[in-house]
Amino acid sequence: MTTKQIDQEESKKRKRKELKALGFIIVVLFPMLSVFAVGGYGLIIWLMQIFGGVTPH
Amino acid sequence: MKWLMNLWQTLNKPAKYLTLGSISLTAFVMGIIFWGGFNTALEATNTEEFCISCHSMESKPYQELQQTVHWSNHSGVRATCPDCHVPHNWGRKIARKMEASSDVWGWVFNTVNTSEKFEDKRLEMASREWARFERDDSLACKNCHNYDSMKWESMSKLAQKQMKRAAEKDQSCVDCHKGIAHTLPDMGTARAPQLIAEVGTGPSKFTNEQYYFSALTKPLFFSAKGDVEAGTLNVATKVKILESKENRVKVSISGWRKQIGAGRVIYFDFGINMLTAQLSKEAAKTEGVINGFEEKEDEMTGLKWQRVETTLWTDAEYLITEQQPLWDYARTTFRSSCSVCHTQPDEAHFDANTWPGMFQGMIAFVNMDQDTQALVQKYLQQHSSTFVKKEH
Repeated sequence: MTTKQIDQEESKKRKRKELKALGFIIVVLFPMLSVFAVGGYGLIIWLMQIFGGVTPH
Repeated sequence: MKWLMNLWQTLNKPAKYLTLGSISLTAFVMGIIFWGGFNTALEATNTEEFCISCHSMESKPYQELQQTVHWSNHSGVRATCPDCHVPHNWGRKIARKMEASSDVWGWVFNTVNTSEKFEDKRLEMASREWARFERDDSLACKNCHNYDSMKWESMSKLAQKQMKRAAEKDQSCVDCHKGIAHTLPDMGTARAPQLIAEVGTGPSKFTNEQYYFSALTKPLFFSAKGDVEAGTLNVATKVKILESKENRVKVSISGWRKQIGAGRVIYFDFGINMLTAQLSKEAAKTEGVINGFEEKEDEMTGLKWQRVETTLWTDAEYLITEQQPLWDYARTTFRSSCSVCHTQPDEAHFDANTWPGMFQGMIAFVNMDQDTQALVQKYLQQHSSTFVKKEH
């Protein structure tokens, strides 16, 4: 293999890595984090309602 | 772990081959898709079809709703499950969705899958729902019903009076309007689940010669084993434990009784109509059940009273070590129930013998089970002007 071919191979690999990373973040990681964040927000309000002067009936 | 390192290395460097344009475009588009999807999912769980996809919701609450004006009426507007049961405000809605995780639990473990189980839990579930409405000032109702839009003239005189007062305070609707969309739980015979949740069922082992307090109105028995009832012990009554045997304890109850009839009603103190225990005729006549001591005459009524001590058996449950939690619960209930319609009077405004009449006259207007009624009445008597010196 020539140096040029090696470089091309490297850049292909790199490009695939970048695409994979982008896909992972956008499809898996960030949606999951968003759901957790919203869920956590809901949980905090719920807990506040439980402990913060909610008179049982 | 290696892929994570690789991923981090890629993410930690500026993109070499992906353009800024393509990255931001995908991020933007994905953002839209995600948020759209999130809201669609949220909406999907907020439909009636979703609610009644569970058998327990379809078979009971949904069927009951169909008998009410919230299902069908002359204006053709109807309320669906989420209209009333999910807060419309975003933050509270999300909180309610998280709270619903316990509903999922109930669904997985079949908590209310049969009619019997549902009825057993109805009061508990209804109480939770009422607490939620109260917390939100019945916002769910007020999304449709508005005090400002009420046409007073078409209401009856009594309704006008009540409604105007409620409007002034922007009162929560379910304070008065309970059981309008589903069957009202059986409040009269239920054994005060909220009270017990607050004060507990009492210790499992008792110390002899120690004082305990009844957390419910309890049946009294002649012996440690038999089923023959000798009467009832009133709620929040101080008793001395004499002996424990399996599931029963022998208690000593002291008080005063009127020297009329069989003298089977025992009161808290001389001249004070505060119930301690009511014995059956048979029990009152049985030798050794009631031991009489000194007598005194009440000048007000001309009745003779006698100090008595009674020894009987009761189940070894709902006897708690402290009285204060009972009073705390009674105070909260008194304040919240009575202030719904009027400013509640001070506890020490009446004396111990006046309170029962006042209280019984008002009790029809509120939802209170029998144990709670008895407890609140006793609380009022115990904190009346008879025992509490007013600061004037």
